[in-house]
Amino acid sequence: MTAFSTEERQLLSESAEAWFADRYGPEHSKKLSRDTEDGFGREEWKTYAEMGWLGLALPEAAGGSDGGLTELSILLATAGKHLAMEPLLPTLVLGAGAVAQLGTPAQQEILGKVAEGACLMALLHAEPASGFARDHVEAIAARSGDGFKLDGAKTFAIGAHAADLLVVSARIGDASGPVGLFLVPGKAEGVSLNVSPAMDGRKGAAATFSGVSLGADALLGGEEDRLAAIDALLDRGTLAACAEAVGAMHAAAATTLDYLKQRKQFGRALSEFQVIQHRLVDMNILCEETRAAVHAALTAVDEARPGAALAVARAKVQCARASRFIGGQAVQLHGGMGMTDELSASHFYKRLSVLEAQFGDGEWHLRRLIAAGAQAPASAASTTGMAAG
Amino acid sequence: MFINALARDPSLESFRQEVRDFCAARIGPELRKKLDLGQHLTKEEYDGWLQALGEKGWLGGNWPREAGGQGWSAEEAAIFREETGRAGAPWLVPFGVTMVGPVIYTFGTPEQKAQHLPGILKNTTWWCQGYSEPGSGSDLASLRTRAVKGVDDDGAHYRVTGQKIWTTLAHWADWCFCLVRTDPEAKPQKGISFLLIDMKSPGITVRPIITLDMGHHVNEVFFDDVRVPAENLIGEENKGWDYAKFLLANERVGVAELGSMVRYLDQLKGVLAKTMEGGKPLSESPEFQRRVAELEVQFATLEALVADQHAAHQSAADQPSLIGAAALKIRGSELQQAILQAMTDALARHGLAYQADALMAGWNGELMGPAEMAGILAEHLHRRAATIYGGSSEIQRNIIAKGALGL
Ligand SMILES: Cc1cc2nc3c(=O)[nH]c(=O)nc-3n(C[C@H](O)[C@H](O)[C@H](O)COP(=O)(O)OP(=O)(O)OC[C@H]3O[C@@H](n4cnc5c(N)ncnc54)[C@H](O)[C@@H]3O)c2cc1C
Repeated sequence: MTAFSTEERQLLSESAEAWFADRYGPEHSKKLSRDTEDGFGREEWKTYAEMGWLGLALPEAAGGSDGGLTELSILLATAGKHLAMEPLLPTLVLGAGAVAQLGTPAQQEILGKVAEGACLMALLHAEPASGFARDHVEAIAARSGDGFKLDGAKTFAIGAHAADLLVVSARIGDASGPVGLFLVPGKAEGVSLNVSPAMDGRKGAAATFSGVSLGADALLGGEEDRLAAIDALLDRGTLAACAEAVGAMHAAAATTLDYLKQRKQFGRALSEFQVIQHRLVDMNILCEETRAAVHAALTAVDEARPGAALAVARAKVQCARASRFIGGQAVQLHGGMGMTDELSASHFYKRLSVLEAQFGDGEWHLRRLIAAGAQAPASAASTTGMAAG
Repeated sequence: MFINALARDPSLESFRQEVRDFCAARIGPELRKKLDLGQHLTKEEYDGWLQALGEKGWLGGNWPREAGGQGWSAEEAAIFREETGRAGAPWLVPFGVTMVGPVIYTFGTPEQKAQHLPGILKNTTWWCQGYSEPGSGSDLASLRTRAVKGVDDDGAHYRVTGQKIWTTLAHWADWCFCLVRTDPEAKPQKGISFLLIDMKSPGITVRPIITLDMGHHVNEVFFDDVRVPAENLIGEENKGWDYAKFLLANERVGVAELGSMVRYLDQLKGVLAKTMEGGKPLSESPEFQRRVAELEVQFATLEALVADQHAAHQSAADQPSLIGAAALKIRGSELQQAILQAMTDALARHGLAYQADALMAGWNGELMGPAEMAGILAEHLHRRAATIYGGSSEIQRNIIAKGALGL
């Protein structure tokens, strides 16, 4: 549920667009990515806090505005359009999302810090042997005194390099224990981070945990198995990534259109060739379709409709295909210029490639839909959760 | 004709083995490691390998004997490419031996042949291709780099002024074969000449262009009143377009890039075996099994098409195929990209970290995922250009539409 009216959403969208359009752009992204240790802007993060964006989907008690994933997605779509580098999704959707969903009252205090901009977060769930599968956890939080001792390895995740608090999944007790989520300070002893840029230049890290000592209060909520909660959390991440991609694909299509209108070959603008026109049309149809599919899924999730998870999977399949086509064509239709680090086309291509793969690619989500379909009655697949809001 | 392909010559199997043995013997452990990791090679490392091929007489193996080659058949050339590809040998840099060499031995003067062919066959000189310009990509014939015969020296030199772009490896090149405009009044294709330009000439500036993989492969090359001896003209003045077309036709052997694809398919299988999902290797995933099978079907079809085209060109009737080299370029580049995309999709299970620095010699950080990951991702990004360079997919389709279908 969301506390936002349509007008408030419109306002949010406009203020975000105004700020990013003024502050951001491919040059700024590149500078942050290459010339700062974090790979993103600390100043920008402060501004997000001041604008109230970090608290958009946090409870009022934490200084937030009680919005839903839809409001966060409005912000993320704008960030994607302008190639923002800050770890908004890992901190707000995954990290804070996990705490809001599962945290004890004491743990919920963290959310106030997130809203203030004083706590960056990331989720480390996937492991070298898990791939996109969400139920494969080998990391172990063995009991040790009152608390735990964490051992395991987690796959590269954007934002993990700078997170003040990592949310890490691990089996409680031993290899057959339930899967819990643990709050681990990024700088805790025994945490070793392998920092790298992602393909799109945003930084992140893979992590190894070797005997990291954790107090009892590091476990989010109680000791019950959290695989279902993690699944739901990753679905929210999936949809947020789709929103970011929708912003990026619109911008990629727009910059390609602009380029082809002014690039002349054979004595005329390339946009005058019908082959090119149809390609541009297909890019734009995909943008519109994907925006609609993501919107429908957001409504299903925010209104907790039955079958919301399937709506997310469908949106991701659509979004992944659109991302691949639009990113690829943005480069192709720019010709040699599309290959350069200088123009934004290649940066949109890489951002869309990352978003396409994050939280499971199109093929993987298609398989989820097949598995769900195998269990559901024949009519269910076309009705559950897909009604547009 | 329905059947164009020649029967396979079984006696060539010993040649295949010889190429394999040569690759195994001549790619030392250090180079092997860099190749396996997909690291950037230095010019010296390329030279080491290409000069070894030159010594063996294989670099220009498909050149005619009169020109210093082995006179390989199309099938022998295909075996050579396939086996060096399978061995993951360094890139057979095409600018000298595949591109300008045949132009020189076909149209060059005896002096030009004597001056340039030995260096090309032994890879002691490096070449680059100066065709594209900022305003002339797909519409190459509109190129504007101007070459004017000097009046002060009785036409002993051309003075060249203009700009080339996307010039691959210009930063290593000793020579550039260049298309220049010598007659601005004539129809675009009629006023172009083919010049060989010494890259050390005063007035040439090379500026790097960094591409999306963060690599330095291509450059801008500026010519500011560069003096080029008139005897560096190939053939006749204003006939450059014909030589460029000859070069293109001659390149059809390599255009499908079969050698690199043999390698990619091997790498794909390796990646799938090493990348896990839910505790099981992706090689057991039905989706990826189907995908590999699809790619192998496409590869087999492409291989058959290449063989068919060779046969058609060698047959007495010499009927050029209806769709010809354009189709090979389209399908070859698309398939390269499709295999690389499949690898990238599998490797995305490791979070799409891109350790571009790991491709530099001497990097000693900690790799993520399979060791070859950074190299494969770099190749994936770089080969987005395969459907752009050498005549884009759109332009190749236009060629088929106009040339083959008469549209
Ligand atoms: C990595 C790389 C290496 C290269 N190496 C070299 C080199 O060594 N030497 C050299 O001379 N050049 C080189 N090139 C240049 C290459 O040949 C050109 O990029 C290519 O010819 C396309 O020209 P362009 O980039 O100007 O694109 P444009 O011609 O501007 O085309 C832009 C887009 O429009 C499409 N298009 C153009 N005309 C039409 C039409 N009539 N109908 C439909 N679609 C159309 C194109 O297919 C493309 O998608 C290289 C390029 C790259 C990317």
